Amino acid sequence: MDFLTGMAYVGIILLAVINAIIVSRMKIVFHGEEEDDDEKGGSCSVG
Amino acid sequence: MEYMAKHWAILVIMILYTAGCLGIGQWFKKRAAEDVDAFYVAKRSIPGWAISLAFFSTFISTNTYIGQAGFSFQAGLSWAWVGFYWTVFCMISWLLLGPRMRVQTAKLSSVTIPDYFDYRYKSSFSKAIRIFSALIILFATLWYMTAIAKGCAHLLTSTLGIPYAWGAFLVIFITTLYSVLGGMYSVLWTDAAQGLMMFFVAILMVMIPVMYVGGWEPLMYSVANTAHLTAKGQPIGNGLMTFCTLVSFAYITSIGLAVGMKQISEPRCLIRFYSIDNAKSMKFAMIATPIFLGVSLACVFAVGALVHGMATDQEASYLIKHTDEVVGFMLAKFGNPWVTGIVMAGLFAAGMSSFAAVSIIVGTAFVGDIWAVIKPMSPQKQVSYTKRLMWIYSGIVFVLALYPPAGIVELTAFSGAVFTAGFFPAVFGGLFLRWGTGKGAFYSMIIGIATTMIWRFGLRFVLPGMKDIHEIIPGFIISLIAYFIISKLTASDMPDKEHLDHVFHTKTS
Repeated sequence: MDFLTGMAYVGIILLAVINAIIVSRMKIVFHGEEEDDDEKGGSCSVG
Repeated sequence: MEYMAKHWAILVIMILYTAGCLGIGQWFKKRAAEDVDAFYVAKRSIPGWAISLAFFSTFISTNTYIGQAGFSFQAGLSWAWVGFYWTVFCMISWLLLGPRMRVQTAKLSSVTIPDYFDYRYKSSFSKAIRIFSALIILFATLWYMTAIAKGCAHLLTSTLGIPYAWGAFLVIFITTLYSVLGGMYSVLWTDAAQGLMMFFVAILMVMIPVMYVGGWEPLMYSVANTAHLTAKGQPIGNGLMTFCTLVSFAYITSIGLAVGMKQISEPRCLIRFYSIDNAKSMKFAMIATPIFLGVSLACVFAVGALVHGMATDQEASYLIKHTDEVVGFMLAKFGNPWVTGIVMAGLFAAGMSSFAAVSIIVGTAFVGDIWAVIKPMSPQKQVSYTKRLMWIYSGIVFVLALYPPAGIVELTAFSGAVFTAGFFPAVFGGLFLRWGTGKGAFYSMIIGIATTMIWRFGLRFVLPGMKDIHEIIPGFIISLIAYFIISKLTASDMPDKEHLDHVFHTKTS
């Protein structure tokens, strides 16, 4: 399998990893809910 | 007796699967009948992992597990780039739209996508947007449901020898029954169970050629050195393993965008965000959904190419022109009834989860967003009428499935473009732009849909070199521009500051 074909498969895995990193750094709080300790220090809050 | 001896394993798995779906519907019957909030959005009480699986199983249908998987027999392993695009849009959908949609819809007490437009924009055009978008849902969804019913019925015919009409009836009846019984509760929980099955079936499907040939190495060697021919009779050589030798990247991009973008615009996907129970669940689902989707797609999109390792030259020369039959061929050649039964259940799960999701969407669109707007009714009546409407609509789908109109696959693909061009600007603007107006949303829908139709029926196949540019691209760009310009020009149509402060209680640090 050549590099660019393989990149489709590797790319999907990389996307999932990058997404997990982005989300784990986000702060998500719904209106009326207590803010959890592990969600503090992120970059974005909604609610 | 001979029939039972041949099919008993598949029948046992299918009966258990059907009983499970109906059991879930029955379990939630009482809870779903409480009020509109319960029947339409399951009282926003579903955990993130279940929503994540439900989103995945709703977005992916039988078409992916049969059609797209089989198409890589022709296109080679590069076809997985389509899965890459879909995973990108899955991420965009969850990162960009998910959290805000959940928060805003809860604040506005919105239970459908059309009523979100109404409550969010609060303009003189609000009711028009609500009814218009409900009509779009009713029209565009009909073809999609018919295509799913048709696909599942063919599957029952080819594997269990059930006559097509009975197959269509069984699939539509069972799916509608459990959706009507438990409303959004049963739709989401069956979707979650079906999503889990689909995830494992995707992995199982990619392992079948490996097991048949006797390991990864011999399989990859066989695929890389195949003596099979392309549909045009040219030798494939190592084309299955090299980038875009058998299919253009423009075509891959076109399908990747056309289908992938449904995740940021189709009500059946967006409505999933409404039902998440809390922020922690949302965060979990935001991480898990691209994993479920990405891993499944990486497996499924490779299946067709790998089946070359199982096929003789003669079989391959037939399959290259009939790629929808590749998965069936693979199962028949592997010849294990239990594996066939499990994969079959996964394929049905893919079809039924999407059917159930849209079935409840059309019910709520007609009763909640058209009927109840014109003639207000009590919540109990609204739920009761929604159930009846779901049955009636399923009846229409059954008739259409018996006499499917020509070009149903094209109509289904086209409906995705209609949703993206029509709904995305109104959804995105509603969630992020305080200055977005109801008039901007309404006219962008009309302009987006008109652009999509003009491109599809007037320009795409007439202008030279435009064939690979799917109508979703011009439709999406022009409707978004229209939303921005018209919203700016109709600033007086903005809701009052108090309403906007309530909707956009958003802090960024």
